[in-house]
Amino acid sequence: MLRPLLTVALLVFATTPGRAASPSFLNEVMPLLTKQGCNQGACHGKGAGQNGFALSLRGYDADADFKRLTRELDARRIDPAQPERSLLLLKATGTASHEGGKMFGVGSREYAVMRDWIAAGAPGPDKSDATVRKLEILPDDRVMKAGERVPLTAWASYSDGSRRDVTWLTKFETNDAAVAEVNAAGGVTAKRAGATSVRAAYLTEVAVAVVTVPHERSVDAALFVPRNNAIDGHVMTKLAQLRVEPSGLSGDLEFLRRAHLDAIGTLPTTAEATAFVADSSPDKRAKLIDALLARPEFTDYWTLFLGDLLQNRKERDHDVRGVKGVRQFHDYLRKQVAANRPWNELARDILTASGDTATHPAVGYYVVTVGEAAPEKSEAAESVAQAFLGTRIGCAKCHNHPLERFTQDDFYHFTAYFSRVKLERKDSKLGPTVLSVGLRDKDQARRPVGVNQPRTNAYLRPQSLDRGVVSLLPGQDPRAKLAAWVTDPSNAAFTGAMVNRVWKHYLGVGLVEPVDDLRATNPPSNPALWDELCREFQSSGYDLRRLMRTILNSRTYQLTSSSRPTNATDARFYSHYYARRLSAEVLLDAIGDVTGAPEPIDGYPLGTRVLQVPDPGANSAFLKLFGRSERTTACACERSGDVTMPQLLHLQNNPGFAGKLDAATVAVMKQWEALDKDDAKLLDWLFLHALTRAPRPAERDAVSAMLRDGQPRADVYHDLLWALLNSKDFTFNH
Amino acid sequence: MFDVSFGRATSRRCDGATRRDFLRVGGLGALSLPTLLALESQAKAGVTKRPGARAKSVILVYLGGGLSHHDTFDMKPDAPAEIRGNYKPIASSVPGLQVSEKLPMLAKVMDKLALVRSCTHNNDHHETATNWVLSGRFGSPFGDYPAIGAVAAHDFGFTTTLPPYVAVPGNPSFTWELGKSAFLGGRYESFKAGDPSKADYKVENLTQTDAAVRVQRRGTLLSAVDGLAKSIEGNDQIATYDEFQQRAAAMISSSETRQAFAVGAESDKLRDRYGRTTFGQSALLARRLVEAGVRFVTVNFGGWDHHGKIFESLDKKLPDFDRGLSALVSDLGERGSDKETLVIVMGEFGRSPKVNKDAGRDHWGQAASMLFFGAGVKPGFVLGKTDKVGGHPTQRPVAPADVCFTILDALGVNPRKQVHTPDGRPIEVLDNGEAIHELFS
Repeated sequence: MLRPLLTVALLVFATTPGRAASPSFLNEVMPLLTKQGCNQGACHGKGAGQNGFALSLRGYDADADFKRLTRELDARRIDPAQPERSLLLLKATGTASHEGGKMFGVGSREYAVMRDWIAAGAPGPDKSDATVRKLEILPDDRVMKAGERVPLTAWASYSDGSRRDVTWLTKFETNDAAVAEVNAAGGVTAKRAGATSVRAAYLTEVAVAVVTVPHERSVDAALFVPRNNAIDGHVMTKLAQLRVEPSGLSGDLEFLRRAHLDAIGTLPTTAEATAFVADSSPDKRAKLIDALLARPEFTDYWTLFLGDLLQNRKERDHDVRGVKGVRQFHDYLRKQVAANRPWNELARDILTASGDTATHPAVGYYVVTVGEAAPEKSEAAESVAQAFLGTRIGCAKCHNHPLERFTQDDFYHFTAYFSRVKLERKDSKLGPTVLSVGLRDKDQARRPVGVNQPRTNAYLRPQSLDRGVVSLLPGQDPRAKLAAWVTDPSNAAFTGAMVNRVWKHYLGVGLVEPVDDLRATNPPSNPALWDELCREFQSSGYDLRRLMRTILNSRTYQLTSSSRPTNATDARFYSHYYARRLSAEVLLDAIGDVTGAPEPIDGYPLGTRVLQVPDPGANSAFLKLFGRSERTTACACERSGDVTMPQLLHLQNNPGFAGKLDAATVAVMKQWEALDKDDAKLLDWLFLHALTRAPRPAERDAVSAMLRDGQPRADVYHDLLWALLNSKDFTFNH
Repeated sequence: MFDVSFGRATSRRCDGATRRDFLRVGGLGALSLPTLLALESQAKAGVTKRPGARAKSVILVYLGGGLSHHDTFDMKPDAPAEIRGNYKPIASSVPGLQVSEKLPMLAKVMDKLALVRSCTHNNDHHETATNWVLSGRFGSPFGDYPAIGAVAAHDFGFTTTLPPYVAVPGNPSFTWELGKSAFLGGRYESFKAGDPSKADYKVENLTQTDAAVRVQRRGTLLSAVDGLAKSIEGNDQIATYDEFQQRAAAMISSSETRQAFAVGAESDKLRDRYGRTTFGQSALLARRLVEAGVRFVTVNFGGWDHHGKIFESLDKKLPDFDRGLSALVSDLGERGSDKETLVIVMGEFGRSPKVNKDAGRDHWGQAASMLFFGAGVKPGFVLGKTDKVGGHPTQRPVAPADVCFTILDALGVNPRKQVHTPDGRPIEVLDNGEAIHELFS
């Protein structure tokens, strides 16, 4: 194994592009420093450097690194007269004391490159060197057995048309070390059943290889057969490949409760539950899905979702719109959802919003993301990339993105689209704030649209994240070009970002996680399904309801949340519906519905559903405790599904919550009277009302025993209500 | 059962046990008595100092808004009037060390404290600077890095009925909450104790008002009803919910918890000594909590952002501070708790040398004073100096990372340890800084 690799390596060494007498600083020395980890954040790559020696993080700034290597410290780091005496080599080989330890040995290939480069007089970055255009890993998709080892090779294509093995200069990392490990040389070892990807980085380019490690067990092939639509084909294929069995189909009531909570954010009523069970038509689930997607509560729920995504809130400091402006934007979004406005059209409208906030409420998006800052220095570029493209470019604001091909230049090219946004901010009492497109100062008028890159001071014109060059007519709003590129059918990130969010909303786990971190090095867990959903969403004209209908009708969505021994550890491939805590607003509304005591929210009439409240600033200890989004950034992580101890303390022991139980007990006792004082009937009703299911024998027995024991009926029901609302059957969607 | 995982790496705790294992150990039913007893017996066995550590616990008094060093611990009596301000210096119990005339009680205990006059960074923004000084890492104003209290909670974990990290009354905040657990997750967020100076002080949702018969009936009914976990294996959220359900019940019914928060159990005389103010009673509660085994208590005492009429404001505020902090110092000392408790007093920055046109002082990241006490801190020690206008350190500058390093190190928590973000990015708790070794003999 070792011998042929070495031969290849030596051949490559002789022909690496840019190499004349000396190894190339850009194509060999720099990636070598990166590969060895010298310039990572924990070592010399952090801002302050390490022990007086600083490098740019993962080598984003070759010019600066060259200066530091060759000029600082009286140029003692390198010694062309006696290359072997160079501090750089003495430290890296551990000959001189080095906190980071020995990086490579004397006589290694790495050593030879560094020594030859120093001996050649340490030539600096040569702009005529061929630049890398693309990186590939071979093999890029591999099914492995636990314990098996496979070597990966990395191939770079350069601007001069050459293609070379750069495995030894490439940095490999695994996305899940529990499933597969990778060593510095690119050797992958499968650890245990699962699937993950190994990512490779060489200079600015990245690539991934998918590793699948199936379980070693026999599975029941019949379980993979039933399918409702195309989604199920892809999910079952993946599960079969991994030998993870899917759970069975959910029961009617399980499905009814789940679909209500996911689609419209409310529990089904007892009447809805009874009617659904009684309906014997074979397509009753499909009919229910259509009915749910047409309900006004659906519009409320999805407006809340878009409110999070588009950060509809008051500004943190010096707010100009007030709650009124937040409500106006909310109303605008609600109308769009009600009309089932295609996502690409809505996105275009928001991205290009102009005018005053009263008649053009979408301007609120820029009021929040630009605020008082100069647009190119504001959060607008990062927010737009994350919200509309599921792409995090924030890293590149200060240094090249470590896991993506985005450079700092890419970031500032992208911010240039916003450079002509002009907000005339006004206190809402004095009139609406107006967004116009123009220049803040006259000097700018003579220059083309662009911004200064703060590190290089280069003047950068608007350019899309895939480096498409834009031509702008004088006076044209650069954001029109931005919106056209963002929503272009060929822009896979725009389609994928929304597909992934919708999928995660219904299935609990995104095909890509984190949900808004789409990048080449973070591929979807089921690429075929990803492609299918993206194709469908795009060909439907970005019809959100239609995408949801397809998902809700899939057998995958309708699988029971109960696990099997053969799928209990699966949390990624949809073998069963993943039970999860209800979100803050949905849980608070559900408590209000079950107890008949809705939550009062300051500034809104009693009985307003929490889901309908536009402003994330509305005062509520409960919503804060259960992780409502503050909408401070575009990150989906602002809404927290975490389970914390104060949440449980609230459910068990909050006085306000206890007050709701008191009210509910009065209603339950009335219901008992109405049901002929029949405790069995009451339990049927109460369980259907709170948990959308029938009571189990053990539950009936527990209550009967207490009543037989002579415990006061109202107290028993009061405590039963407490137990119902504290149970995961209630607080989780499952 | 845990031989295979498809990516949800977060279900494992640092000690290698899973949350589900906790339930196995704790008992099967919800709200089980064995769990409570196990936790209480662990508490009785005592929370101890880690081997080699200086402190068992930390009390961090946070002066949000930024205390004016010119008017308290770094007076410049020889500077022009617009810099030296209205107050006169007075002698303290440390020969040659003067403090503000507004701090007469602290002046008497300065021989027990260490004073650092050379804290410095370069940020004048409340939120950014607060998150910086509380986490030791510079980041965005929204808190990219976990506060060291959350780091301590993450490192020590939940071992008794009390949470490891408590904030009294709550976390610092100007507009939004600061010093949060960031990527460590809600599990390690501070537990908010509320304002213990209120007449009928109770920790929110913690006071057991229900009769034992009800509590028992609820437990029985919940065990019968809460069946979801029986049909679902391997779900991390369910396991966490079950764990916290038991911990919450244990906390509510535990006499240990009740006692720890029962600031009213202290004598009137002692409560008066701390002052019947939010700060005074918070400091007293903090002492009770660390003695009961809480690892990290933040006492949040904000309102120091005096851009105008600073002397009128300080006339009112400094006496509360003076009384409460001096009482904490002497009380901890009298009880011997100072030997294992490290107390730190700081804000996010100092204030500007020059009194402005509104008779206020503005934000000043370049220089600030802070205090250390207990856990082997050299008594009566003064570290660092500022220039003659109190604008910049001239000796031994101390950075936020140094302060956080010192605190974590004192607790026996490795400040350079790597923690992981939910998406797997390894991050050092502190990527910078070192212990302020001069503080300890």
